[in-house]
Amino acid sequence: MGQPALDPEEVLERLKAEHRTLFWEPLQPNTIRRTKDNEQARNRGSLEFLHHHWALPDHFDPSVAGGGLRGKIFTLFGRLTYRVLGPYLRQERDLLAHMVRVNEALERRCDELTLRCQQLNQDFLDRQVDEARNLAELALWLHLEPPAATAATSAATAGRHGKVGADQEDAASAP
Amino acid sequence: MTVTPSADGRRLRPVVALLAAHWESKTEEGWITRQVAGALAWVADVHVITPEGSTAGTSTDSVFTLHRMATPIEPAAELRRDLLIEGLSETGACGDVPGSPELSSLLDQGLVGPWGDASDILSALQPDLAVIAGHQDVGALNAVDRHDPGLPVTLLALGADADSIAFPHFASVFARADTVLAVTESERLAIVEHHGRPDAARRIGAPLSANPSALSEPNGWVGDTGYLLVLTGVDSEDEEHPEYELSRVLRLSFPDRPVGITHTDAFCAWHGGRLNEGWPIERSSDLARLMAWARVTVDLRPGRLFARRCVDSLLYGTPIVVPADSRAREHAQRGRGGLWFENPAELAWCVESLLEPPTHDTISAQGLSYAEEEYGSTDRFVDRVTEACGLTPAAAPVAVTT
Repeated sequence: MGQPALDPEEVLERLKAEHRTLFWEPLQPNTIRRTKDNEQARNRGSLEFLHHHWALPDHFDPSVAGGGLRGKIFTLFGRLTYRVLGPYLRQERDLLAHMVRVNEALERRCDELTLRCQQLNQDFLDRQVDEARNLAELALWLHLEPPAATAATSAATAGRHGKVGADQEDAASAP
Repeated sequence: MTVTPSADGRRLRPVVALLAAHWESKTEEGWITRQVAGALAWVADVHVITPEGSTAGTSTDSVFTLHRMATPIEPAAELRRDLLIEGLSETGACGDVPGSPELSSLLDQGLVGPWGDASDILSALQPDLAVIAGHQDVGALNAVDRHDPGLPVTLLALGADADSIAFPHFASVFARADTVLAVTESERLAIVEHHGRPDAARRIGAPLSANPSALSEPNGWVGDTGYLLVLTGVDSEDEEHPEYELSRVLRLSFPDRPVGITHTDAFCAWHGGRLNEGWPIERSSDLARLMAWARVTVDLRPGRLFARRCVDSLLYGTPIVVPADSRAREHAQRGRGGLWFENPAELAWCVESLLEPPTHDTISAQGLSYAEEEYGSTDRFVDRVTEACGLTPAAAPVAVTT
């Protein structure tokens, strides 16, 4: 029984003291915020209204004029007015149709860009998480492993590659 | 202890009634319950009363007489109780949780009823001592008190969970017991801390021994080259689990040393970055062989009651590294048979330290000595149990004829 007794608590204290220099660790990115649907630009309600109401009337409706002489005068006057203003109303109708189409296209493009931004943001966050994890592993590796072990690992990896290469050579030289 | 004569006036040995919710050996709690019953059987006639069984009746099980009531306790009822304790303990210190009839009713729901017939069996047996296995078995205590409120009671605490030991609802079970048996010192200290009576709480250890045949042949997958043995409780593909991560840290930290990792579905042996995958370790003899030939055993999920695998490892002279918040820490700290960790870096330092020959050899010798002294003798275990129960062989009764 020549071995002096060892107190595990003292061993642990010594270990902690020896490794006290390692206080650094990479920051983990904040919790990833998932995108909500209502954050998109799409607002179908207003667009649907535009689609249903862009076509303004281009002729006079006699039923709104009523009956009798008064109605006939109103109808006559109304038809005259629409005939005079007809070219202007058709141009305005074309203008409104184009505006609705432009709005639709803009809305679609906005949504695409929003989704693209969100995807890019997500990609950045994922990348940050991967890098943080990688840094944590690297920190642990560098802290725990003296260069010899790393070299041994590299040698083992190289050895494996060498074995694969040898196998390939064997396969190539096989009849 | 005074032995009660039976109806015909002849009772050669005391009668002990052991009330156990479960009568099996799969868990540490079940295994130690059977060992305590076996120890008592040296000096007494042991009758095991359990709600288990599909048909009620009495049978012989080894040296025991087994009384099955066929009123098994539903696993859901035990789960509800454990969840309640867990949930309430999260709100603060368990000892401060106020008791209420509603809470008691909820805790006991489905757990007291199955013990309804036990008092009739006790009345028929007229035992000299009742042993209750499990401090949560309020139903068993009620059955004993219905039979005879003055009957001596020994409680085998089975206190794997410190929150449960501290829970006020179970204080009556501790208070009623004349003696409380704890397997480990940390369990005993937890009981004394919350229920006092240090003289009544006794540590009994467990009867374990190293299997010499384990040293005859190493495990073929990992060999005999001073490997690191890592015991996990997770699947080999559960890469997100912390235990898997820790095992990976070890594998990466010691690339030049063989590492054997036990998973629930496979045994993975790593040699210099190459993986040999074998069948999962299911037989205790296979695990014993692995521990016997390992340089260090890292148990990432030690048993909750007394970390049996860690004691086994120490009995083979293999130091252990265990989580700091586990029951296994006692074996490393009090037994001086290993180290404990709180984070992955500490885990790697501990293993690295124990792989160094001088530290390894000293800790190995200390752990072996501790394990043999505290757990390695069946005779000493029997003595501790029988003495704690007041049934020492020396005090065993002679034939009672009057």
